Amino acid sequence: MARLALRNLSRNRRRTLLSAGIIALGCALSLVVLGFVERSRSLIQESTVQQFGNIQVADPALLDGRAEGFEYLIPPAEQAQVAALVRTERGVLGTTAQLALSGLLAVRRTTAVVRAVGVVPENDVLDYNDLVIEGRGLGPADVGAVLVGQTLADELGLRPGDFVNLTATTVAGAFNVSPLEVVGLFRFSSVEVERAQVFVPLSFAQLLLATDGVDRIVVRLDRLGRTWTAARAIGVKLDAAGIPLEVRTWDVLSPFYQSLSGFFDILFGFLVAAVFILVFFIVLQILTLSFLERTREVGTIRALGTRQGEVFRLFVEESLWLGLVGGGIGVLAGAAISFLFNAASIPWQPPGTVQAVALGVDFTGAVVLIPFAVSVVSTLASAFLPAYQATRVSVVDALRAV
Amino acid sequence: MQRSGFCYVNGTPVLETRNLIKDYPLGRENVRALDGVDFTAVQGDFAVINGPSGSGKTTLLNMLALIDRPSEGEVLFEEKPTSRLTEGELALLRREKIGLVFQTFNLIPVLSVAENVEYPLLLTRAPRGARRERVAARLDEVGLSGFGKRRPDELSGGQRQRVAVARALVTQPRLVLADEPTANLDSTTGKQIMELLQGLNTDHCVTFLVVTHDPSVVDYAQRVLTIRDGRIQGEEKRGAPRPA
Ligand SMILES: Nc1ncnc2c1ncn2[C@@H]1O[C@H](COP(=O)(O)OP(=O)(O)O)[C@@H](O)[C@H]1O
Ligand SMILES: [Mg+2]
Repeated sequence: MARLALRNLSRNRRRTLLSAGIIALGCALSLVVLGFVERSRSLIQESTVQQFGNIQVADPALLDGRAEGFEYLIPPAEQAQVAALVRTERGVLGTTAQLALSGLLAVRRTTAVVRAVGVVPENDVLDYNDLVIEGRGLGPADVGAVLVGQTLADELGLRPGDFVNLTATTVAGAFNVSPLEVVGLFRFSSVEVERAQVFVPLSFAQLLLATDGVDRIVVRLDRLGRTWTAARAIGVKLDAAGIPLEVRTWDVLSPFYQSLSGFFDILFGFLVAAVFILVFFIVLQILTLSFLERTREVGTIRALGTRQGEVFRLFVEESLWLGLVGGGIGVLAGAAISFLFNAASIPWQPPGTVQAVALGVDFTGAVVLIPFAVSVVSTLASAFLPAYQATRVSVVDALRAV
Repeated sequence: MQRSGFCYVNGTPVLETRNLIKDYPLGRENVRALDGVDFTAVQGDFAVINGPSGSGKTTLLNMLALIDRPSEGEVLFEEKPTSRLTEGELALLRREKIGLVFQTFNLIPVLSVAENVEYPLLLTRAPRGARRERVAARLDEVGLSGFGKRRPDELSGGQRQRVAVARALVTQPRLVLADEPTANLDSTTGKQIMELLQGLNTDHCVTFLVVTHDPSVVDYAQRVLTIRDGRIQGEEKRGAPRPA
């Protein structure tokens, strides 16, 4: 019976090729788009984790942006407790603390509002030294040193070796100002970060704010995929220890990533739906005609004792083969297009980034499987109605058909 | 026991109809295509139902083949009534016990000759070895031993009908029904087909029932029934079924 189903595809080669071609086209198209979306998504994931780490532990008031003073600061004892507790979780590579502050960066007569992020220099969890393109990174001996983004440096005319003044309000509410040496310039994928964020040693930030606290603990994991299970587990441990801090994952920490990822999902969902519907209706037309032409044959095999269900299965099996062949060709074609795209390395600047990257298309399991499955399912879906109709005709009427 | 050729007939009815009536709707009225047919075929019979075009032959044959249901009356297959059986049960009965030969051969064009003959055995889920053996034997019997790999469209009309005959016999059915099997063939080829059917009837002791409007077919029958306007008009028994 499988043989007959397969053989039936050779009945009208042109028509079979046409339907397989349409299925393949839909499959290849969604494969390339999905590959592109996934590549872009993983680029953005990378830069988001580079900015935020995998997980951050901080006071909910700070995380939700409703802090009024410095009540969110984590004192050293609690910081040590959290670090110890987090490190027991599987997949945790390490933790580091940060302290961010808002301040006014002044150079000669120009000023800029910046967010200065105090980091532990040369920590192995999240330091930004590998982003430095000119000058050097922050070292353990540095105190009055700052890394400035390329965009901001251009605006303020800064070069490594220049001095700037950073003004901020201390925890107690007093103004404090300190000179800083620009030791390096960095580039970051996001324009926003490059323009509005500078990096200083944690010790400097604490000195400027006159505190020994930090505002967050950043957690680095071995795998990106472990982020959410680890976050949940750490949250449970914090609650159990009675520590009133909350856990946030990198995707939630970056509103930019969230909106872009959501946009990608909608884009791809829409495309898949369009391809599904298009393939469904075109193949439905073709199969309806193809099954109708064989009414007399259906009459013959039913007269010979083939049951209605078996005839139905025969048609569905035939379209399953069609879907598999079409989808298979689509995957091959999609792979070829992806390969050409990646080989051509067309430059593309993703929204909100500073540097163009090569336009890339991922070719992974999910990228192949989803369009392939969608092609097969839509082909099968188009077969059901005509196959059902073909089995409904009475044997005698079917035999009389021309 | 009655001897008929080489086939010993014990008189068990294979097929029996009781007061078969079939009405077709035509506009607001009904056309009565069969009007009370009573007919019995026993094991080993070779019966021909003869009648002019439109007399109800195909209608009757469809009832006997269990592919259509009568408006009234009953068809008994192997002495069991069939009107209460479901479509699925009828299909199972057909695949196992009834062979069909059509006027237009009705081979499946995408299957080879051997695969066409094999098809009913796939339905009965016969094992592969048995299928091969039986297909080869039936093709040999109809004189098409070397033709198994050919496609139906590579064969002549007579050869195609031989394939259809092989297909009808491959499951070793109790009953073979043929609707005008010679109507699409020239007279010489038609005679060859009838001789083939006659020989198979004797060899396999299968009940054959042929409907036709071709008078020359009548020569091969042991029983000739005449149908007119949906009624069996009369029956003629012929002792030794050997045509001139
Ligand atoms: N499906 C049908 N609908 C209406 N009338 C039919 C149908 N099939 C057969 N008939 C009528 O029934 C009568 C017998 O037809 P049929 O059995 O095909 O005769 P035969 O096979 O002897 O030529 C004819 O009058 C024919 O017009
Ligand atoms: Mg007829």
